[in-house]
Amino acid sequence: MGIPRSKTDDFNLYRRRDGGDHESLLVREPIDTQRVLAAVADDAAGANVLFVGTARGITDGVLTSGLEYEAHESMAADNLIKLRAEAVSRFSLAACAVVHRLGKIAVGEASIAIAVSGPHRHAAWRAAEWLMEQIKKETPIWKCEYRPDGGREWSHPGDMPVGCAAEEHEP
Amino acid sequence: MNPPAFIPPVVKSSGGHSTSQPVHASGQAMPPPQSEILRITFFAGMAEAVGRRHLDMQWAGGSVEQLRAMLAAECPAIGPLLARSAVALAGIYASDKTAVPAGSDVAIIPPVSGG
Repeated sequence: MGIPRSKTDDFNLYRRRDGGDHESLLVREPIDTQRVLAAVADDAAGANVLFVGTARGITDGVLTSGLEYEAHESMAADNLIKLRAEAVSRFSLAACAVVHRLGKIAVGEASIAIAVSGPHRHAAWRAAEWLMEQIKKETPIWKCEYRPDGGREWSHPGDMPVGCAAEEHEP
Repeated sequence: MNPPAFIPPVVKSSGGHSTSQPVHASGQAMPPPQSEILRITFFAGMAEAVGRRHLDMQWAGGSVEQLRAMLAAECPAIGPLLARSAVALAGIYASDKTAVPAGSDVAIIPPVSGG
């Protein structure tokens, strides 16, 4: 059984209607990962990779009761669209889709889904990994971790987002 | 998180936080604009530290560097995170030397943690 393909535009939330392109989206409802995968189905593809990032309930022994994500939504959407196009070009993909969840999510739920398709598996694997790394470094989205005791903490690791003007001006 | 820090809703932009003259992307010096409102938007831990999502300030013009200095002076609690944050004008990242025209839509972008 192959990857299910969308027969209508309405069926597939993650595929744009113009030119076979694939939309990156920020969503507040649970991500339908199979739809993300279906969005990249393509006759030119022999490899289809779906990565799903989920909310982890324990990290180095510390319990997490849930996560919350927020974004600078227009900048994040622009950045995801740019990264998707760069991935298609860099790895000669047939198609690429990225969907990131915003708002509160429970442990085990998907926070992000990345699907890529291409002629061969090596490039497809690498493309999904590359996309995930770039998103974690430069997309203006932030995570807040909720603890079982009611505490919470926003995560701001490292330095300025990759690609920002100030970062580019550093030696 | 600690209780939200207080920031006065109106902050003077004069006071010489930086001696550098703001320049437009074209390289030309910018004339001093009329004093107008500057809306600054904060996100995630920065919004929590400031205690609000938006801050409207009186702004007579200046550079991103001057804006950073003013924000850090008015709210020391956000200083360390502000130093690691980028500044965007109308959704475009700006360098410290970029002029911030009055009326700009300013976003402070702290280190990201999506995925």
